[in-house]
Amino acid sequence: MGMMGLALGWETRILPVAQRERRVALFREQVAAVDPAANAARAEDLALATACQAGDLQAYERLYALHGARMKNLARNILGSSTDAEDAVQETFLKVQRSVGSFRGQSSFVTWTFRILVNTCYDARRSRLRKKEVAVNDEREDAAPRPEPRAASAHPSLRLALDRALTKLTRHQRDVFLLYEVEGFRHAEISEMLAITEAASKNTLFQAKKNLRHMLEPPRHSDAAGAR
Amino acid sequence: MNVNCDDRDRIFEDGTPAEWVALEAHAENCANCAAQLRAWRSLSLAAAELRDYSDSPTLWPSIRRSLAAQMAERQRARWSWRSLLPGPSLSWQTVTAAAFVVLLLASAGWLLRPPAKSPLQSAGLLKNKALADVESAESAYVKAIDKLATEAKPQLENSETPLMANYREKLLLLDSAIDDIRAQTGQNPSNAHLRYALLAMYQEKQRTLEEIVEEKR
Repeated sequence: MGMMGLALGWETRILPVAQRERRVALFREQVAAVDPAANAARAEDLALATACQAGDLQAYERLYALHGARMKNLARNILGSSTDAEDAVQETFLKVQRSVGSFRGQSSFVTWTFRILVNTCYDARRSRLRKKEVAVNDEREDAAPRPEPRAASAHPSLRLALDRALTKLTRHQRDVFLLYEVEGFRHAEISEMLAITEAASKNTLFQAKKNLRHMLEPPRHSDAAGAR
Repeated sequence: MNVNCDDRDRIFEDGTPAEWVALEAHAENCANCAAQLRAWRSLSLAAAELRDYSDSPTLWPSIRRSLAAQMAERQRARWSWRSLLPGPSLSWQTVTAAAFVVLLLASAGWLLRPPAKSPLQSAGLLKNKALADVESAESAYVKAIDKLATEAKPQLENSETPLMANYREKLLLLDSAIDDIRAQTGQNPSNAHLRYALLAMYQEKQRTLEEIVEEKR
């Protein structure tokens, strides 16, 4: 397996963090259902959509202030380049402005915006692939770009390994993993963004994590893989 | 709740909070499940490595400029459409469709003027000759819209963007509404109110098609 050379023993390295920071995201869906903050967020979402429909540039600025960083991060993880990510975010805002009149509130305004962003990123990737006329293997829809170097982090080797492993996932697995685990969206939101069911989102995340584990775990663990 | 090693994957995929608690309790006495659970959670923590929310000071100003430019461009285009003057951005189909809207409105306005000699006739009903005029104008208008639809068709069919999906959905709804109203006018052809409703639907369809055609440019 290609990733074995990058096996990091990361499981044990970040174990203390895992013990400190118990994962609470498992309960996000349940908590959101009764959280008054969720109601406030829905009201703000609606107000934002209405203001954007009215052509209020300050509303777009608010949208950017709230979600711009997350949009750019998602775009960078899909496109592998900060410059391309910024272009995709800008193009997304222009598309939102062009089509906000047809937004009817079927989903939240923010998830609708992220749906446009994801599509814009894949349009950009297809366009880039066409331009580059790369080898047949790299022209696959799922072929991901080579990740560019990024800012220093606590576990640079882990990030590099994860970056590379993500390129081996299918497009849907990568999208769901990035949206859920990295950007913190709920399955209900992801299902709206990717036009899939919540069950499909959960199953895709499961498959993505299973594959990532398989690619990232050290060789000594491969014997035990059958036990899963 | 009791769970065992066989439940682990199912809980990883879609476990309830209670099942997760039970799995943790089980893992205290099962080394394999404990390792799997630890590894599973580690992936979520590792995902944090892919978060880089550093500021891009030039991005918003650039987006704002683009948004302002696009807004100004759209306002210009809309104003020139309303002026009904054939500007460089308007296709001949658009101009033709606009001309038919004016014709149809004029016909409907003439037909709906207060009745002078026929007090028995309701103001909302059309006379036979007027009805023929309206139907003729409507037919021409529909043909013009069909031409516009032909121009928009490649863009509608070949693009998988959410925007185009919305347009497709909107056009389906409009066509469905148009069919309904046309069915009603078939039963009551002299009802001017139904004609107005039909005209409004056609205008909305025309506007939608124009937006799609403009997207293409």
